[in-house]
Amino acid sequence: MSTSGTSNPEYVNARVRARRAALFSDDEYQKLVRMSPAEIARRMEETEYEAEINALGTRHSGVDLIEYALNRNLAKHFDDLLDFSEGQLYDLIARYLRKFDAWNAKTIIRGLYVGADRDSIETDLIRAGEFSDRMISRLLDAGTIEDVVTILNGTIFGEGLTEAYADYEETDLLVPLENAIDRGFYGHLLDDLPNSEPVQLYREFLVAEIDFRNARNALRLARSGADIDPAAYYIDGGKLFNPSELNTLVQNQEELVSHIRESSYGRELTDVLDELEDADSMISFERGIEKALLAYSKRLGNVHPMSVAPVISYILAKEREVENIRAIARGREAGLSQAEIESELVIL
Amino acid sequence: MMANMTEIANVVLQEGALTDPTAAAALAVGLAAFGAGYAERGIGAAAVGAMAEDEDLFVNGLILTVLPETLVILALVVVFLV
Repeated sequence: MSTSGTSNPEYVNARVRARRAALFSDDEYQKLVRMSPAEIARRMEETEYEAEINALGTRHSGVDLIEYALNRNLAKHFDDLLDFSEGQLYDLIARYLRKFDAWNAKTIIRGLYVGADRDSIETDLIRAGEFSDRMISRLLDAGTIEDVVTILNGTIFGEGLTEAYADYEETDLLVPLENAIDRGFYGHLLDDLPNSEPVQLYREFLVAEIDFRNARNALRLARSGADIDPAAYYIDGGKLFNPSELNTLVQNQEELVSHIRESSYGRELTDVLDELEDADSMISFERGIEKALLAYSKRLGNVHPMSVAPVISYILAKEREVENIRAIARGREAGLSQAEIESELVIL
Repeated sequence: MMANMTEIANVVLQEGALTDPTAAAALAVGLAAFGAGYAERGIGAAAVGAMAEDEDLFVNGLILTVLPETLVILALVVVFLV
């Protein structure tokens, strides 16, 4: 509930472990891959997602229903996590969940940019972050992007956004605003973390996530061959690249891959890097780094049960589940084959 | 908190104030009870969390929560020895 007082990892972890056990298993994904979107929705009604499917069933149908139910369920669980936890634990969880605040802020700005109406923006929000319902409805009521920037003043995104707004006015492009939000999030992720062993490992995990994100962006840039300044997409705080390295590596994919191979992540990523070089497929590389991150967080959770680690591992696993089910539903709708859908899934 | 308790015990023993065996026994039982309470704190929190997710765990949770009480029961032996 608050950041004062001592943390209560025993309570939170007991609840998180029970919820983790309710996640979909390997076998269930196998079944889902063979179902149509309507059947998936019906199957979801028999599980965890019953309340959400029932609540949204009258307004949406098909893949939309699945997607909104997934998002709402995700938001419910993550909000619960913030409710349960106290003290330092709350702070550590909130740091990570602010990424949904970033997502919501970006969604609202994008919605206003393309002139979407309030309702359709609202359905796309994931209310899992730290923003209160009141804050979100204020943001939704804002008529212009400038108002949104003003309201966000005072949050962690405020500082960068105000500067970026000037850029936006000049260029009329959303990129500066979105970058400012991302940087606000990542910039505060590693701010004055307390000093203890599990927290240091948590920090390592966050650094790994930033590194992977940088690596993915760099690879995408290298492959697209587009003439974009890589520094604009660089996220601070990682240890894999520094900005100038990134600038030269983006020119050459082979050097980039060997740079990653020589880094401390090399061992975990050997397989996917081999695959990337052989098959030249970005999909398996991206799935590979997500899998590596998931496996790492799970191991961390088992090694340090009385810390924030199991919670983070649950958050990642839940996010993966939501993305997996969404990929299955969207894939089935688009008529992809089973093998193609399975290559999109991340199953540990 | 636990650190404070051992400190208090140290001070009491060093000053030589504790010459009465009955008082020493009482202190021993009291410290054991403290230990049991501290252990139950964590187990109880976890047990309530588990119960909130699944009510069938009530019996298991209750049993595990009171297990550290054995510390106090064993410490009570001291009372009969003095």
